[in-house]
Order: sequence, then C-alpha cells, then structure tokens
Amino acid sequence: MIAAIIDNNMDRIKADLVNRGLTFDRLLDDILDHVCCMVEEQMVAGENFELSYKHVLGTIGDKRLPEIQHQTLLLLNKNFQLMKNFTYLFGLTAALIAILGAFFKRMHWPGAGILITAGIVLVIFVFLPLYFVINYREQAEKKNPLYAIVGFLTLAFLLAGAIFKIQHWPGAGHIIEASLVILIIGFIPLYVVNAFQRAGKSKLRLPYIVMLLIGIAIVSLLYNVNMSKNQLNIYRDEAIKNEFRVDNVQERTAQFMSYINDTTYVDKKEAVTEINIQAASLQIMLDEMKDGMLSYIKQAGARVEDIRKIDNRNAGRNAIYNSGKGREFTTVATEYKEMLEGLVEDPVTMSQIEDHLDFINKIWSLEFGSGDFRNDPLIKSYYKLTYASRGIALSEYVAISTLIHNQK
Amino acid sequence: MIANDLLKGTLRTIVLKLLSDNGRMYGYEITRKVEGLSEGKIKLTFGALYPVLHKLEAEGHIKIDVEYIGKRVRKYYSLTEVGRSWSQQKVDEFFDFVNTMSYVLKPTPA
Repeated sequence: MIAAIIDNNMDRIKADLVNRGLTFDRLLDDILDHVCCMVEEQMVAGENFELSYKHVLGTIGDKRLPEIQHQTLLLLNKNFQLMKNFTYLFGLTAALIAILGAFFKRMHWPGAGILITAGIVLVIFVFLPLYFVINYREQAEKKNPLYAIVGFLTLAFLLAGAIFKIQHWPGAGHIIEASLVILIIGFIPLYVVNAFQRAGKSKLRLPYIVMLLIGIAIVSLLYNVNMSKNQLNIYRDEAIKNEFRVDNVQERTAQFMSYINDTTYVDKKEAVTEINIQAASLQIMLDEMKDGMLSYIKQAGARVEDIRKIDNRNAGRNAIYNSGKGREFTTVATEYKEMLEGLVEDPVTMSQIEDHLDFINKIWSLEFGSGDFRNDPLIKSYYKLTYASRGIALSEYVAISTLIHNQK
Repeated sequence: MIANDLLKGTLRTIVLKLLSDNGRMYGYEITRKVEGLSEGKIKLTFGALYPVLHKLEAEGHIKIDVEYIGKRVRKYYSLTEVGRSWSQQKVDEFFDFVNTMSYVLKPTPA
C-alpha cells in the first residue's frame, strides 16, 4: 500500500530532485532511494504521503543537493585532485624560489634577480590562475566568477608591482597604483557584498582576506621604502637651481676672461687660463656623465623636469660608477683643488674655495667607497652631478676674481 | 551527538566495517544502522555518506549490485576483495588511534 503510493509519486519526486540541481545520474539513484525510504518510514509511523514528503523535502533544504553532488564529483574527479595537488606543490616551489632569490639578493650573490623574477612570474602566471580556478570549482554554489577574476587581478598586479620595484624596472609605481585601484574599486566592494550575502550562512573567508592584507602591507612598504615623490621633487628643484647658478656664475667668469688679455693682468694670465681650462674640462666630464645617464634611459637631451618621473637606479650606476668616469672625475677634481691651493695665497679665499669643493670629500669619494651611487634614483644622481658642477663653477669664479682683483 | 569534525576522518572506516559485518547494504540502511549502533549519537546524513560511497567505489574498494524496488533503483554496496583487507587494516588503524588518544588524553594524576 505505502510502497504503491510512493511508486505513484516517483516521477514527481525525481523531478523535484532534478529541479533542485541533482543532475548526476548515479547520485540521483542513491538519493531518490534514500528519500523514498525516509518518506516510507514516516508513512509507516502513520503520516500521509503529502505531509511526509513535505517534511523530508524540508530537511533536505534547497541548496544541499547541488553541494553533495559537487562534493561527490570532486572526489571522483582524479584529474581535479591531481591538479589541486600540483597547484599547491607548484605554489610552494615558486615561493621557495622567490625566497631563495631574496636571500641571494641579501648576500649580493649573482642570479638573485633571475630567481626572484622567476619565482614571482611562476606565481602570477601559473600558481594564481590555477589557484583561483580550483577555488572557483570547489565552491558548491556557483558564484559569479568575477570574484575570482578580480581577486586574481589584484594579487597579480600587487606582485608584479613588487617585482618591478625590487628590480628597479620602470613603471613600478604605475603597476602598484593600478593594483590599489583594482583593490579599492573592485575587490573590496565585491568582498563586502559577498560577506553580506553569506552572513550567518558560513564563516567568512578570513584566511584569504588576511593573506591579501599582508600582501598589501608588504607592497605598500616597498612603495614607501623607495623615495617618496616629495623627496624626488626636492632633488629635482635643487638640480634646477644648481644648473641655473652654474649658468650665472659662468657668465660672470666669462666676463673676467674677456679682459684677461689686457696688459694689466699679464702676469696672472697663465694661472687664470689654467684654472679656466681645468674647470671647463671638469664641467665637460660632468656633462658626459649626465648625458650618459640620460642616454641610458633613452632620454638623451631630456630636461630635468622630465627625468624625475623615471626612477632608474641603473642609470647613475652605469654612467657614473661602471663607466669609471666618476672615479676619473674625483681624481681630476682633487688635482684641480691642489692647483688652486698653489695659486691662491689668501687663506680666507682658499677656505671659501674649499667650501665650494667640499663635494670631493663629502659626496663623492665617500659614497664611491660605499657604493651609494649604485642605488640612487636617477634624479638624485643627477642632482649630485649638478651640485659638483656648481662647486666647480663657484670655485673657478672665486679663484679667478681673487687673482684679478689682487692684481689691482 | 558526536561532533562532525571528529567524524570526518572515520566515516570511511565506519562504512567499510559495516559492509564487512553485514555483507551488502544500501545507503539508507547504512545511515539507520549507524544511528542504531551509536544509540543515536552519530547521525550520518546522506550528504556525508554518498560522496564517500562513490569515492570508495571509484577506488575499487566496494562494488554495487542494483535491484528494483517498484519503480526505483536500489543500489546495494558490498566490499570487494581489495576492500575487505583494506577494511580490516582501517579498523586496526582506528583502534590503534583510539588507544593512543586514550593515553594522550588521560587525566594526569595530580
């Protein structure tokens, strides 16, 4: 009797299950039998079919069937399991490579850049896509894939920004800015909406958001460890001022030079001319280093205002340090200073000249030793060159004007 | 009631042991049996059971016989040869685990 009633309703029960998302035939057979058994049990206890069935459906709920089916399919799908294992193994390897690279970099061993880059590239292009695909497939209720895509983009951009920053590749700032924009207008709103939808249903994906926050913290740290825009602007402004002063001072020096042939200064002519020539050759060396830096970043002839935006630490290292021109300049500048000491007798004037040439000791020789030039942003290296240029021009002017005025 | 997270790792063992003791069983029967044996402390939901059954079948530990009950299909699960020896191994492993846990969690005399 009871069995017959259930049999009569079989098509309806089956349709209900299918409508609730149970489409995997092998599982459908199991659940169908299971549900019938549950209904049967209640009917044996005296309930009628409709009430029993309603009650059983109530205990199943709307969303459990797709979830169960999903779990079953995942367990059955060996490829998926393999992919999952591979993904985690791969992520681990990539992270280890990147960490090893960081260690190499710390120890100044060769190959650090390659290791770090390889690690991060693997994370961005292999691990993260796989991770998000798996994550998405594992969710029982299919959600909007947008969440996974935006999450991927945010992390990918954050990591790419970090690697650009570490490797001093141009454009790091833009990438980090882009990632923050994606984060703020994409990921966070999506996350909040999602959190509200899930409220009370299951726990929020706390580890995920914590990981992301740590990532953001690290990247912002990287961003701030580097010179801020304000600082770069200060170097730029000082560089422009220096260049302006050099022009002014050289104009005044040129006036002196124009009447050096006058017979009044005949016995000073040789000394003044020598100072002028030496100073000019030092200026030429500085200009060569500036040009070297600008051509390194393929901006030959650019103005100071424009190069501020390009943060390339290799430019200064290449044009000043690696080329050997910086060292050569320091040697010639020291000779120039010794020459002035021999020509200028007045101790007050000489101390003034020494002040103008303090860069030889303060900035140059010291920092060549500790390798500071090798890590300065482009604009800072450029600023140092203009500072030296200003010192040369001023010392030249002071020396020549003193020699000429003393003659009178 | 026994907490779900404690049950999670032992579900396979329970299923294998039941099949080894009772020959062939169908899904609903397994849930009722577990409830009975545990005096209602373990409520095995079909959501937990069927994924495990399908997984065990895919691995070759259990096999399926099909019977028609009226219009519907009933699947009887039973152990394969491989499953039989594995089942014993799993049960031994579990008792070993319980013994170990009883040492570990035994209240220490003050």
